[in-house]
Amino acid sequence: MSDTPFVVVEGLHFSRGETEIFRGVDLQVPRGKMTAIMGPSGSGKTTLLKLIGGQLQPDAGRVLIEGENIHAQSRKALFAMRRRMGMLFQSGALFSDLSVFENVAFPLRVHTDLPEAMVRDLVLMKLEAVGLRGARDLMPAELSGGMTRRVALARAIALDPQLILYDEPFVGQDPISMGVLVQLIKRLNEALGLTSVVVSHDIKETLSIVDYVYLISDGQVMAHGTPKSLDVNQDPRVRQFVHGEPDGPVPFHYPAKDYFSDILDAGVSS
Amino acid sequence: MIDSIRRLGRFGCNALESFGRAGGFLFLSAFAVPSREGFGLWLRQMHFVGVLSLAIVLVSGLFIGMVLALQGYTILVDFGAEQALGQMVALSLLRELAPVVAALLFAGRAGSALTAEIGLMKATEQLSSMEMIGVDPLRRVVAPRLWAGFVALPLLTVGFSVVGIWGGYLVGVEWLGGFEGSYWGNMQSSVEFLDDVGNGMIKSMVFAVVVTWIAVFQGYDLIPTSEGISRATTRTVVYSSLAVLGLDFVLTAIMFGGLS
Amino acid sequence: MKRSKAMELGVGLFMLAGILGLVFLGLRVSGMTLTSGDTFRLEANFANIGSLKPRARVTMAGVTVGRVSAIELDTEWYDARVVMELDSDLEGELSRDTTAAILTAGLLGEQYVGLSMGGDPEMLVEGDTIRDTQSAVVLEELIQQFVSNMISD
Repeated sequence: MSDTPFVVVEGLHFSRGETEIFRGVDLQVPRGKMTAIMGPSGSGKTTLLKLIGGQLQPDAGRVLIEGENIHAQSRKALFAMRRRMGMLFQSGALFSDLSVFENVAFPLRVHTDLPEAMVRDLVLMKLEAVGLRGARDLMPAELSGGMTRRVALARAIALDPQLILYDEPFVGQDPISMGVLVQLIKRLNEALGLTSVVVSHDIKETLSIVDYVYLISDGQVMAHGTPKSLDVNQDPRVRQFVHGEPDGPVPFHYPAKDYFSDILDAGVSS
Repeated sequence: MIDSIRRLGRFGCNALESFGRAGGFLFLSAFAVPSREGFGLWLRQMHFVGVLSLAIVLVSGLFIGMVLALQGYTILVDFGAEQALGQMVALSLLRELAPVVAALLFAGRAGSALTAEIGLMKATEQLSSMEMIGVDPLRRVVAPRLWAGFVALPLLTVGFSVVGIWGGYLVGVEWLGGFEGSYWGNMQSSVEFLDDVGNGMIKSMVFAVVVTWIAVFQGYDLIPTSEGISRATTRTVVYSSLAVLGLDFVLTAIMFGGLS
Repeated sequence: MKRSKAMELGVGLFMLAGILGLVFLGLRVSGMTLTSGDTFRLEANFANIGSLKPRARVTMAGVTVGRVSAIELDTEWYDARVVMELDSDLEGELSRDTTAAILTAGLLGEQYVGLSMGGDPEMLVEGDTIRDTQSAVVLEELIQQFVSNMISD
């Protein structure tokens, strides 16, 4: 069990069209721990996950997974790397034409040549871990939002990956499903010894389970540290985000001219 | 003034860029090595794209054939040439109406469905997650749909022609009292299999490639929001229709206009 | 990947129907015959072919017996050489003085070649040339003839 981080991001630059999304991002994801990447909306967190997963190419900088540059891999090598990674998308992203069982079995069928009986056993085990073994024959359209996410989680761990990327797992969940998901993610990480990267802007839930946090804003890492250290961090931007303050470095008011003159003008002009 | 020119230039550049993307897309998907379950996926798409379009294509074919016979009969009878009804209906259908109308109907029904389906898969991140699992969505999602379209539309066109000719028979012979022998006999002596049926099928195959390609590309390339999907679906129908009609002119000129 | 039996059956029927439709179009609509395509070649020279086109019919007594396969300019005699492919059943059956005329189907119809049997005991074989030909009637020449006849009256 080496001490080198599982994922290293160095000097990442990425632009979409004319907008620069990342202007030099450096972060390290320690092995076996849960790391959160957080920030205000629109800071490109999903894009960062896609860059880490190799779906997007950075303009500059590197992403190293276990020391290997994911963007420099051949197709076969990339395929092998993907086997060790799982990703949970914000909307669950279950294949709508396949049943729950078939969805979870999909990665197994793609990456392995296991006999059907073994595939069945593995799928049922994964579904049991997320508590949805009984729902195996339902179609995605018949599932509630929380159930969809849990099935997607089962699919993400189908191949027993070493790294899981979570894209906004807590968004739009009712308290019960939220509680279930939080527990599941934490327990899976411990039980399977996974390295997890959670992208979220839900402070309370995320900080309650992760070991380390990176705050991204304006295309760069604004701050990083353990949840406790961020809680007492005095940087006004960090304070505003962590404590959910409505006004601070990210202003409440959309830029406009002076309040008084705006109102008086409205009275004068016709 | 300068602004409009600049906008026009940008529009042209965007269009060209799109076209280039579409070309690369077609090349990568159509010639992707089929996956293990490729045949099953293709079969399923053949059902959605072909079998489910049968109803609209056959019914339309029937009506068009019947209308052709109806209109044709009233015109030909003035020249005492009503025995030419059979060949008129058959040639119009085989050379022009079947390939073109079937392609337009296909674009409206199957094309828009393809765009919406793929667009929805993109918007719900299914394509992304497929990529993350390590499966190329071009192979698994796009290629089966492309090939299903390539095969289904020519078959639908054949159905359209057959039903239309039979519809013409129903109206021209059974209803309006034309002579059955001359309907089929004159038709047989003036319809050339290779020239008329064959060229019609070639047209249909060209249309199949173009319509399916546009439909699938619009779905794959769109902005993944609900507005993006509805815009892309509209674009599929409009672009496909224009392409079919434009290509029809070019192909007709080459095949039947003696411009070989 | 669920592949229901019904769906497979449906698609199979669909494709079969398409192929059968194509067969229907071939036989019933374009009148293709399933007989063998063996043919033998004859040539004929005409002073004027009118609007005769390649693939035009060749008939005898009104029955279609072959097709025009090519029309070329004969650079020796400066008339039109028409090459015809006829049913091989007729090879050796047509007399050497068989005539070939370019006729019109109906009043304004397409032009075709009509063959007429002669009485010569010798028969035409592959590659022979029909000597006795009658060119197409060109409307302008007919009118001119008519007008000059009227004037001379």
